[in-house]
Amino acid sequence: MANRSGAAQRPNGTQGKICQFKLVLLGESAVGKSSLVLRFVKGQFHEYQESTIGAAFLTQTVCLDDTTVKFEIWDTAGQERYHSLAPMYYRGAQAAIVVYDITNQDTFGRAKTWVKELQRQASPTIVIALAGNKQDLANKRMVEFEEAQTYADENGLLFMETSAKTALNVNDIFLAIAKKLPKYDQNQGQSGQGQGRRLAEGDQGAKTPGNCCK
Amino acid sequence: MLSVHQDVLQIIQAKFSSFEIVKSVHLNVSILGEYWSEQHHILAVVAYHSNSALFLFSSKKPKPFHLSDLIIEAVIPIDENFECLSDPIPGEHNYLLFVVRYRKVSFEFRIKIGPESSNFASEIVKSKERFLSEESDKRWLLKYTDLYNSLENTELKSQLDDIPFIRQKMAQNQNSINRDSMLKYQLKLKEPEFTQYQEFTLFIGTWNVNGQLPSISLKPWLSSDDDPPDLYAVGFQEIDLSKEAFLFNDTPREAEWEKMVLDGVHPKAKYRTVALTRLVGIQLIVLINTKHYQYIRNIAVDTVGTGLLGKMGNKGGVAIRLELHNTSLCFVNSHLAAHVEEFERRNQDYKDINARINFRKYPTAIKDHDQVYWLGDLNYRITELTTSQVKTLLIRNEMAALLRADQLNQQKERGNVLLDYNEADITFPPTYKYDLNSDTFDTSEKARPPAWTDRILFRGKGIYQLAYRSHMELRISDHKPVSAIFKSEISVINQAKYRKVHEELLKRMDKLENEFLPQVTVDQTEVKFDLVKFREPQFRDIIIANTGQVPAEFEFIKKLDEQSYCKDWLRITPYCGTVNPGEKCDVRLEVNLESDLTELDDILVLHLNGGKDMFIIVSGKGQKSSFTTSMSALCRAPMPIMNLSEIQWKKIVALEGEVLYSIPRELWLLVDHLYKYGLAVRDLFESNSTQESFVKIRDWLDFGSTEPLPGSVETIAETLLIFLSYTKEPVIPFHLHDVAIAASSNYQSCKNIINQKLPDIHRNVFLYICMFLQELLRHSNENGYDAKTLASLFGEILLRDPIRNSKPQASRENLVSFIIF
Ligand SMILES: Nc1nc2c(ncn2[C@@H]2O[C@H](COP(=O)(O)OP(=O)(O)OP(=O)(O)O)[C@@H](O)[C@H]2O)c(=O)[nH]1
Ligand SMILES: [Mg+2]
Repeated sequence: MANRSGAAQRPNGTQGKICQFKLVLLGESAVGKSSLVLRFVKGQFHEYQESTIGAAFLTQTVCLDDTTVKFEIWDTAGQERYHSLAPMYYRGAQAAIVVYDITNQDTFGRAKTWVKELQRQASPTIVIALAGNKQDLANKRMVEFEEAQTYADENGLLFMETSAKTALNVNDIFLAIAKKLPKYDQNQGQSGQGQGRRLAEGDQGAKTPGNCCK
Repeated sequence: MLSVHQDVLQIIQAKFSSFEIVKSVHLNVSILGEYWSEQHHILAVVAYHSNSALFLFSSKKPKPFHLSDLIIEAVIPIDENFECLSDPIPGEHNYLLFVVRYRKVSFEFRIKIGPESSNFASEIVKSKERFLSEESDKRWLLKYTDLYNSLENTELKSQLDDIPFIRQKMAQNQNSINRDSMLKYQLKLKEPEFTQYQEFTLFIGTWNVNGQLPSISLKPWLSSDDDPPDLYAVGFQEIDLSKEAFLFNDTPREAEWEKMVLDGVHPKAKYRTVALTRLVGIQLIVLINTKHYQYIRNIAVDTVGTGLLGKMGNKGGVAIRLELHNTSLCFVNSHLAAHVEEFERRNQDYKDINARINFRKYPTAIKDHDQVYWLGDLNYRITELTTSQVKTLLIRNEMAALLRADQLNQQKERGNVLLDYNEADITFPPTYKYDLNSDTFDTSEKARPPAWTDRILFRGKGIYQLAYRSHMELRISDHKPVSAIFKSEISVINQAKYRKVHEELLKRMDKLENEFLPQVTVDQTEVKFDLVKFREPQFRDIIIANTGQVPAEFEFIKKLDEQSYCKDWLRITPYCGTVNPGEKCDVRLEVNLESDLTELDDILVLHLNGGKDMFIIVSGKGQKSSFTTSMSALCRAPMPIMNLSEIQWKKIVALEGEVLYSIPRELWLLVDHLYKYGLAVRDLFESNSTQESFVKIRDWLDFGSTEPLPGSVETIAETLLIFLSYTKEPVIPFHLHDVAIAASSNYQSCKNIINQKLPDIHRNVFLYICMFLQELLRHSNENGYDAKTLASLFGEILLRDPIRNSKPQASRENLVSFIIF
């Protein structure tokens, strides 16, 4: 019989922390932002995904080795006429995925302007990932992988080619972001802004002897 | 949102003492099942310190007005036996089946989904949470026990699936703390899936050392077995009988005995001290094989004195609690009251130790641990037999007869002590009282009968005892040490399985959370208005439909850096509200153009509290009108402005071209009409003309017509006021506003401003209006206007603020009244 102290003890080494982060998706209309979110959150893909008019909100949790990261995902409208509203969503975001469609060179150009805007206007500690979506349509490719990779490297972005249709790299890109986000209190000094809201999971108040006799 | 039914809360609170706090109430609860007929029911969560209970009231009225309206129907403690869950009711979207289970009793309540139910549920969750982290105490409910007992005896079956918990509460507030306690609760339920039992060998020892110095090796006691145990709990009594130890609770013996224990443990393994605690001479040490050390947590100790005055430490108990992997263990070493006849004192000491040990950490009490090992010099003796009888029976090895005469066995059987503890069969000779340095029972004059004073008992599941013995070789005390070996099942978390369960739960909660996000659709995301004309409002209705499972609180929110949630030409009613699942709400968008805007564009952000945002584009074209055109432009227009070509229009707006009139044609037409027909009309400016009649005059002016000016004189008088109120620049231009106000008390400076500062057209208009007003005053007898009334009416218009608010009325009046006279 186990003790009744409420939470089960986490296995040794599991710190049981939950960090919550706001993540925003940006990119031209029809590049597949909503599709990526739908794939990530519900494991689904719709051939006829409606264009987003507004900012859709969903949450999803990913487990890392020692922490649990909960994303509050804001999937924004890509249509140009809603551009002026985007700051409402990337302001205060700790992470952003800028999406383009590898079969459409213009969308890559638009992605670059999004990155610039984020670098200028968003939190300086924001973690930005670039997603070259619709990788399943590589035969119609208009944006070379290397070109995007070089651009990402130069700008310190995470980069992956993804496909919401085949699920390629969809979880991976969110996971990569989760890993890159600062999660530890000791970082708070330098990067307070980028810090996810930290929530205690269980009352791990007491020091465990395991920690002091490593 | 927290204080749903504050008033009822207060009435219910009156039923309780000031320490019993009504945390939350839920009205209009209907009960499914056979218990109560259809009447009004109310649920309330009541807290008493860290304990809570759910109270069910029946009420004479749906909403009670006085406490006499309320009768307590049931009391359900919110403790470890308390479970609640919720279920959708097929076909009833707005209601929820709220099921509360307590042991075998189950209640099913039908409640309406909404903020009330959500608040209430989250209060229950909090109460349960509070209980889990604190000590349970149901005594405060004794007042209501007859009810409570009657419930415990009832058998009531109910079919429930295992949807654990209140899904509803997730929906309302996306509060991660709630989510967290939910996760904890669910992990707890799933514990069997990721834990497995692993056997640990526990060595428990007890020895009353009679104040003797630690001078001999403890190996024969602590390491007499082949295999090393995983854990040692070693208790001593009487390690120091000195006054100093008694008075100051300080003794060098503590460290010395600890060292002897560490030296005496099994050589085949390494140990380290987990905890040591001592009260005067009662000492307890727990050691663990170093390989398990990292799996120990939440160590706590406490001591309780039951000796002199019922408090002193010459007798009493000390305890150590810890969690090894996922099992909570408690070790108690007690030295109970001495003397044969004092068995009742011993029983009392035992009870006191149980009642008073408090680890200040959950679980706080001895009894709440998964496994308890109780050891010590319990001091129970053999009664009804003389020393020689005992010795004879011992020699004949008639243990059964002896054990029957053992006080502990007798008292335990009567339920007076160590009630649900187990003890292995005793096969060793009594451990007390021996002559020092011998194996001979007491040969002194007192010749006390031998007794099994030193005992080890246990309580809990999965504990198997392998050995229970005394160790004759240790002779320095008048007691012999005793030891017991247990194979105990410890619940160990399987990391891989834990992760899987944890992750699955998170996924499931994500799913629930997303499912219960507020969802609405709007029937149009683009609202286009027809040509929007000056002072001719138009509206469009949009329909917000709740397609989700929870009430949706919507609100139109401001965009970054904007003053308001919509442009000033737009009005949204209502701009916020709540729509229940399956229901709809009409929102009216109304435009009213009062400026020369030609392009109307706005994006509205419709925000759902705790959910998504939707954008609604509002657009339309504004039609130009003489009412919103500057007077300087109007004086350049050769014809009604709607008849101008685009090029002509642009030119006059840019104030290019010849000034054709000294005052705007439109103004002249209006005033001239009033000269002719209005001077003698009583209350000329008090018209309540219709929208329609204004529009006719507006179009007559803007488009031109051969027809006579339509509408009554009153309507035309009102139109004049409107015309002067909306001209692009007021008659006294904005930049002269402050100068004019400053000059208002002085006739000469007013005159100077009018004559020297005003642009020509504005001066013309000003003087023209003043002449008209003088004319009106000449007909005061008929129209009923005096100078003051007219000055105040027109002052406000001729000298209007850039922002439409009022500066001191008097200054404006003066400016006009000076001129009129
Ligand atoms: N072949 C393929 N089609 C995709 C992929 N991702 C999205 N699509 C399709 O692309 C279209 C647009 O996808 P959306 O997810 O609506 O694009 P969006 O970026 O959210 O667009 P907006 O909401 O207008 O900003 C849809 O028809 C999708 O089915 C992909 O990885 N491969
Ligand atoms: Mg989209």
